[in-house]
Amino acid sequence: MRNPLPKTAAAPAGELARRVAALRTGQRAVLARALTEIENELPSAAALHAALREHLGHAHVVGITGPPGAGKSTLINALVTEIAKRGKRVAVAAVDPSSPVTGGAVLGDRVRMNIGTADSVFIRSLASRGHGGGLARTTPRIVDALDAAGFDTVVVETVGAGQSDVDIAAFADTSIVVSPPGLGDGIQAIKAGILEIADILVVTKADTPNAANTERDLKDMLRLRAPRAGWSVPVLSTSATTGDGIASLADTLDAHARAAGVGRRVQRAAAAAAPPLPADLREALRILAARDSFVRHCGIEFVDGGPGTATVRMAVGCQHLNFNGKCHGGAIFTLADTAFGLASNSHGVIAAGIDAHATFPVAVREGDVLVAQATEASRGRKLAIYRVEVTRDTELVSTFTGTVYVTSRGHA
Amino acid sequence: MPDPAFRPKVLITKIGLDGHDRGSRIVAAHLRDAGVEVVYTPPWQDIGTVVKLAVEEDVDLIGVSSLATDHLIVPKLMRALREGGAGDVAVIVGGIVPDTDEKMLLDAGVSRVFHPGNKLDEIAAFVHATSAKVRASRFPSA
Amino acid sequence: MNKPLPHAIPASTGEANVRWSAEYAAQIGDDREVRNRSGIPIKPLYTPLDVDPARFDAEIGFPGQPPYTRGIYPTMHRGRTWTQRQLIGLGTPATYNARLRDILDQGGNAVSLIPCNSVFRGYDMDEVDAELLGTCGVVCNSADHMAACLDGVDLARTSCAMNDPSPFTLLAFMLDTAKRNGVPWNAITGTSNQSDYLSHFVANHMFFRLALAGARRVLTDHIAWCGEHLPRWNPLSVVGQHMQQAGATPAEALGFTFASAIQYADDCVAAGMSPDAILPRFTFFFDISISFFEEIAKFRAGRRIWARLTRERYGARDPRSWRFKFHGQTSGVDLTRQQPLNNIARVTAQAIAGIFGGLQSLHTDAYDEALSCPTQFGARIAVATQNILREEAHLTDVIDPLGGSYYVERLTDEMEAKVLAVMADVEAEGGMYRAVESGYVQRRIGDSARTFQERIDSGEQTVVGVNRYAIDEDASARPALAKPDPALMDAHRADFARFKAQRSQDDVARALAALVRATGETGPTRTNLFGAIVAAAAAGCTHGEICGTLRRELGFGHPLVAV
Repeated sequence: MRNPLPKTAAAPAGELARRVAALRTGQRAVLARALTEIENELPSAAALHAALREHLGHAHVVGITGPPGAGKSTLINALVTEIAKRGKRVAVAAVDPSSPVTGGAVLGDRVRMNIGTADSVFIRSLASRGHGGGLARTTPRIVDALDAAGFDTVVVETVGAGQSDVDIAAFADTSIVVSPPGLGDGIQAIKAGILEIADILVVTKADTPNAANTERDLKDMLRLRAPRAGWSVPVLSTSATTGDGIASLADTLDAHARAAGVGRRVQRAAAAAAPPLPADLREALRILAARDSFVRHCGIEFVDGGPGTATVRMAVGCQHLNFNGKCHGGAIFTLADTAFGLASNSHGVIAAGIDAHATFPVAVREGDVLVAQATEASRGRKLAIYRVEVTRDTELVSTFTGTVYVTSRGHA
Repeated sequence: MPDPAFRPKVLITKIGLDGHDRGSRIVAAHLRDAGVEVVYTPPWQDIGTVVKLAVEEDVDLIGVSSLATDHLIVPKLMRALREGGAGDVAVIVGGIVPDTDEKMLLDAGVSRVFHPGNKLDEIAAFVHATSAKVRASRFPSA
Repeated sequence: MNKPLPHAIPASTGEANVRWSAEYAAQIGDDREVRNRSGIPIKPLYTPLDVDPARFDAEIGFPGQPPYTRGIYPTMHRGRTWTQRQLIGLGTPATYNARLRDILDQGGNAVSLIPCNSVFRGYDMDEVDAELLGTCGVVCNSADHMAACLDGVDLARTSCAMNDPSPFTLLAFMLDTAKRNGVPWNAITGTSNQSDYLSHFVANHMFFRLALAGARRVLTDHIAWCGEHLPRWNPLSVVGQHMQQAGATPAEALGFTFASAIQYADDCVAAGMSPDAILPRFTFFFDISISFFEEIAKFRAGRRIWARLTRERYGARDPRSWRFKFHGQTSGVDLTRQQPLNNIARVTAQAIAGIFGGLQSLHTDAYDEALSCPTQFGARIAVATQNILREEAHLTDVIDPLGGSYYVERLTDEMEAKVLAVMADVEAEGGMYRAVESGYVQRRIGDSARTFQERIDSGEQTVVGVNRYAIDEDASARPALAKPDPALMDAHRADFARFKAQRSQDDVARALAALVRATGETGPTRTNLFGAIVAAAAAGCTHGEICGTLRRELGFGHPLVAV
């Protein structure tokens, strides 16, 4: 993960494309083998994951967490059956803790999951492998692969204990926190903070005596909390034994997906912790550009890039105009700055801009297409200088000079 | 020596009609403590379910526990694994298997049959070595 | 009157004790700690200091007198020995019947019917892999099959144990056989041997299970129905054997078994039954391991605990409610595949422990059980073992012959304390039903199983021929798996298909519809579910049809915990 531009060779492009196509047409064995590569971070995994990235964002990712013994697996069993009954394809990633001493694990969730036989359901058990927070380090990438494989819903189950629940909330579209009835450890764990991340609270074992009290307690606790914009967190009771409340939970999941959207992690990931970049430098620069929210906002496209160079393009639209009806100097500056940023970050470590100047001798109008090309003027151990020329066809419309501070940190 | 970073992933299960699961549970717990990632199922799995599990979980090895003649349908399982595209998964059987039937199982492609009296460490060592071979054949360049 | 008893003379507190202690310490060398399977430390010597003479009447007493430590009947084995009940079951009903008659001719005096695993799992023979039919028990799916199994057996005189997990179809079939043979139901004696559904969840084993709530309802109805129609039948056998086979220590097995018995009694009382109506028909079923003295102490402690429990918790007044009646089965877990004839010695030691422990009924395992389902040759030796112990070895001349042994009395006290602690743990979990539902009991037993296996693997616990004294054996000398004759089984399958086609389909449909209706009823006037099952069996419904109907209506009992 340190090196943004890993040197490991990927499989031939044709082979990779064939695998992605097979995975996307629902070939279980291909998907399963891909998950093994990702889970074990084999050398081929990075390119594979990168190739899946353009297929993300379809799945509704549902995190389910709660204290041990809360009945999560039983609930998931019933819920997944219900979702599948509604004609959807469902994948489950069930995470169990690895032994901190030996690294081994018993992935026992199968005990309560009697749903594995349906063709529309895919279950993968994962060991946490010591990653703090209950999730495995690779779990987000596993979820990506399940998403790319076209599942409508991807359920991620973790053993609830403090931090893991917060982790899951970072990439789930909807977080369900499960509490068993009773005023024992379950509620204590919930009080300890995971209430904050819940989009939906579920009290399981509704057929047992304390369930109603627990539901009331949770509702009281929610009242003490600042209301969330656009969504009021519901408390639902379910019984996997009688099936009560399961359909209503599935309805609520749909409602939350409509209210909050699905695939939110994909958008966030573009800006934040992204998976490793591919080996091909040009492709890596393209991905870095695509991850830049402001670049996307301004309508700037990546054209080309290499060691110390980058070329980007922008078609001037009405959104780029100033009050005089001409292209805003800031838009031109941004275009040049984008080329500068990519060129200066093309050496595998983060470069941070510290100074830049631009000239705007020529007026630019709506409909003009501008191209900015950055080249490396000098690069030392700490500082590097880049020149950028912005042209309209062959005419030079702006020159730009920028200086970066070169860090030793790789891209996330 | 197996790669220390390598974690075998195995499925411990029971097919057929019998449910005596003391052995499968002991073996699963011991394998965990020997650094193995174990997908454990309760007894009474259909052969079709075991094949689907083996494929989806992409396990290296399946351990089938049999105490009351359920080993007689293990050859059916071997066929179903091959037909389901999981013919490269190693299969071991443990429990009460008469000698005459042991040969039948080995002929059907079972890697090894463990009996009462085999030590847990012996089973764990075999699982490590066999899983490593299966994984290496799947990812030759890794 | 408390007279001083010989064993209570405090003579050993003197100089001799001091000298012995010193000499023992000097000569013993490696004085490693010895613990029994339940974890109780075992001393090298027990003396009068280990027993309190003042507690003799209250804790030890006399046979047939509460708290029954020395036996539940005044005469015990000196009067009537135990019921010799061999589990048998193989192949088709006709094969079974031939084997049964052979056992009865050899000295057996009771029937125990083991059905095929397909039956245990709630299926008819046309619903499972043909390879598995009849390999471990008799394929008995209908009232006709039961009539063939019991052909020539006088049901009015022969006690019959039906290894019949909920919903008790085998008993329902047997009642039909009795009716055909003109035997009144109130003359029938025997036990529903596998009615303890909680034990089936604890130790997964092979039994058909409804989901917990459904199983609870069927059992409560079964006890109520039998109370009304089968006064000499024991509708409940609380089974510690499953738990000990699954790895529970002897103390855990007994503690969890009593916790289950409490759960069942509570449920019956809540359903309006009186303690003295049900408790006399509660029986128990235990594993007898080769941990010789520990097993004897387990049974002696069990009698004492049950005698107090029934009076203190339920206010039972009928002495029959206080008596802890149990069937013992020698433990198959102790048997080895290596040098299988050694198992005859093991079974003998186990059986002696059970006899000294005061059992009412005994099954001795065949030596070849660790290799396959028992052969006829093996089964005959198992029966002979009991005959030898009873009639050649004079084990039954004296009641509770180890009573008064400093060691056995002390160990009985310590086992009792251990068992009561296990029961308290279950109470703290909310009772046995909840403790099983949450997986507490299963996890605890799983841990014990593993600890024991590790003791064997490390050599701390010797197993002859396995981790010590192993020899090269000629594997071909071992018996092959007894498999049913495929031609007979094929004919049995064809017969069954014919039967299903020719019976009155209207009667069957009506009976199954009535069963479905009964599952939906609630309240005190609802139809007794077991009554509906007895009616369905008589109407020609098969085992698989009855189980399938209940599975759909009440849910299947999936396993509740993993590792």
